[in-house]
Amino acid sequence: MALTFFLSRTLGIEVYDTHDNFVGKVCDILVEQNPVKTDDEETARPKVTALKLKISKITRYIDFDQVSITKFNGKYDITCKQVIQASDETINSGLPLVQCILDKQIIDLNGRKLVRVNDVRLATIKTGTYAIAVDVGMEGLLRRIGLSKSLNAILKIFKSALPAKFILWDDIEAIDFSNLNIRLSTTYSKLNHLHPSDLADIIENLGTQAKTEVFSSLDDETAADVLEELEPESQVHILENLSVEKAADVLEKMPAHEVADIMDELEPHKAEELLNEMEAESSHDVRELLEYEDDTVGSLMSNEYISFNKRITVGHALEELRRQKPEDDMLYSILVTDDKERLVATISLRDLVVETPETELHQIMDVKLITVFDDDKIDSLAEIISKYNMLAIPVIDEGSKIQGIVIIDSIVEDLVNKRKTNKR
Amino acid sequence: MIKNKKSFLANLAIFFAILGPGIITGSVDNDAGGITTYSVAGALYGYNLLWTLIPSFIVLIVIQEMNARMGIVTGKGLADLIRENSGVKITFFIFIGLLIADIGNTTTEFAGVAGSMEVFGISKYISVPIVSFMVWILVVKGTYKIAERIFLIFSVSLLTYVVSALMGNPHWSEIGTAIIKPKLTFNTTTIAMIIGIVGTTIAPWMQFYMQSSVIEKGLKIKDFKYTLIDIVVGCVATVVVAFFIIVACASTLHPNGIQINEAKDAAIALKPLAGSFASIIFAFGLFVASVFSATILPLATAFYVCEAFGFEAGIDKKWEEAPEFYVLYTGILIISAAIILIPNAPLIAISLGSQVLNGILLPVVLICMILLVNNKKIMGEYVNKPINNLIGWSAVSILIGLSLLLLILPFFS
Repeated sequence: MALTFFLSRTLGIEVYDTHDNFVGKVCDILVEQNPVKTDDEETARPKVTALKLKISKITRYIDFDQVSITKFNGKYDITCKQVIQASDETINSGLPLVQCILDKQIIDLNGRKLVRVNDVRLATIKTGTYAIAVDVGMEGLLRRIGLSKSLNAILKIFKSALPAKFILWDDIEAIDFSNLNIRLSTTYSKLNHLHPSDLADIIENLGTQAKTEVFSSLDDETAADVLEELEPESQVHILENLSVEKAADVLEKMPAHEVADIMDELEPHKAEELLNEMEAESSHDVRELLEYEDDTVGSLMSNEYISFNKRITVGHALEELRRQKPEDDMLYSILVTDDKERLVATISLRDLVVETPETELHQIMDVKLITVFDDDKIDSLAEIISKYNMLAIPVIDEGSKIQGIVIIDSIVEDLVNKRKTNKR
Repeated sequence: MIKNKKSFLANLAIFFAILGPGIITGSVDNDAGGITTYSVAGALYGYNLLWTLIPSFIVLIVIQEMNARMGIVTGKGLADLIRENSGVKITFFIFIGLLIADIGNTTTEFAGVAGSMEVFGISKYISVPIVSFMVWILVVKGTYKIAERIFLIFSVSLLTYVVSALMGNPHWSEIGTAIIKPKLTFNTTTIAMIIGIVGTTIAPWMQFYMQSSVIEKGLKIKDFKYTLIDIVVGCVATVVVAFFIIVACASTLHPNGIQINEAKDAAIALKPLAGSFASIIFAFGLFVASVFSATILPLATAFYVCEAFGFEAGIDKKWEEAPEFYVLYTGILIISAAIILIPNAPLIAISLGSQVLNGILLPVVLICMILLVNNKKIMGEYVNKPINNLIGWSAVSILIGLSLLLLILPFFS
């Protein structure tokens, strides 16, 4: 028989041993930090490892193995068969529920948002006691204030009840450790499964400390995707608080034009420091883009693009693509140049794929070129992509030399940001 | 191009980018409730309560500086911090109190809308529904930020109170004497008036508003000196406007023994004494201030309540995503507007009641704040300096003392 109980209702309960000696009052419950999933269980649940008790002013931790909780007439009774001091290892590796979970914000992985914990539900089964879910509903809130029973009694007359909402332990990630003195070795591994833009929304809403902590725990690839999605203020905040090495690693994973946008927001000396730390190849592209004024096409374009000489064959081009393994957006517009490296046409990936390998590019390329200059104003771009239904526009200089491409995503993002700033 | 110059112009640019939270908070501070309280104080006591603005000013600066510092260092709202550190019961008490007080305050704002429009001959049954609907649409349709800017520009019109005051030919020497040596008899009315002035200048909900706007602006601790300037400018503006409202009423209404109950009475009474232009300016200022605060107050309240209890909130969310937030927001607006439209509604009692509630909540919020801002785990190296604590705790004790005095005094007279 499983006994379930709420964290909030155990707090302040006086614990006695079998000889009715007072052991202390419950002030926190410690659980395992990184529970392991066992075969016969569907979800990983952290086991309760220790109780934090208070006797007058002294705090002590006792091992939970010897503790039993019983419910009698709706009242909890906690007894301790044998008082064993919890080991330092248990204490340091334990997650204190009151300090880190109760009343704090956690991430609801299914709802992909931050929620505030009103209570924690625990259950005792034959193998031990486990934290199974967090209570984020109205009922939990009122239970804490001591109103849930009376309100539910009233609502019962109307055949209704207070809305209760629980989230299983597997579907949450605790993030707020600001009240802890020791640093936990938590990895937030569950977070890497969230979509980067959801993660970005969550990180935006965190406190300053948690923001950096959660971000730096992400792997570089995820971190780069998340950083792209963040608002400029948060990008700056995070980069300023991250170690230079980690920040440079993350920035190297991002497209140069995105990095350039961020660098514009940073303090000049910080930007310089990061650029110096990044690999020369990545930072060179970024520096090039930084030369452009804010409202010109150059500041929005990406200087990572694919270009082929018009005399090579389709087969050769495809082989080259296989070797380079370009990102999706680099393929939106494949550029074709003449022998003097001047842009003469574009070609679509579709045309490359459907043609025979021996065909030379100039036979199939699209010479109806739509281009912009790198010092054109950004405002002109939206009209062009919508008029010609393009996914990317080639950018050239006065001498028809390719400078980069502007991808539709960047244009849309720029438009959305402009609208947002107007709203603000 | 990476530029590296730190000229005066660059500093000025940083200041204007940071500018906002303090000045907006300061402008919202002089809302319909404030204008009413200052007008009544001026009419009833002449220049004799002007001195209360000096301690209010100091406390206001100290409190807002703490809010800004907490917001910048933690990145968390005041409601969040209180919930996380003071427990759910205190949180519940504060926010239920805040909700009720703010419904009362919003009602006062609509009374300001109704009153000022009546000066121009427009019935409240027309002005209040129209204004409340427009305020609602403004927020729900997400054009709030533009509105905030427009209001900020309009709030400059609060300075017209200076014109109103000067047209009443104030006696500067008398003002000087009254500030240094006020003639006052201490009784419940006087104490209530003093609490009223302090309470309306340092309204509890403003602390939450200030901290959130600092976070939203994404301010950084290294730019704190600019934030401080912003706060001081805001506080000076607040107190200067308050000063001139009191002076306007004190130099015209007080010598003629005209008693008023509402801000609009002041506008009407000014007409024969300082000319119809002064009266119109007074009414216009009242209207702008009322609409501004009627927009911000319900929104802010809904936001903190949701923040504290963990509901989703924010005007960038859709109705389905944050139902509690929008229900609260709409509810506060509808209830407040509806109260005004009830014929013979006890408006003065409502405005007095919400001020008393503000007076009770203020020390509670302040105590929570001072405890938080002294907590090393939360604030790290940015905890309060002794001088902040001295002023903070003195303000709390004086406020509690005054409130207690107000409760006890009737038994001795």
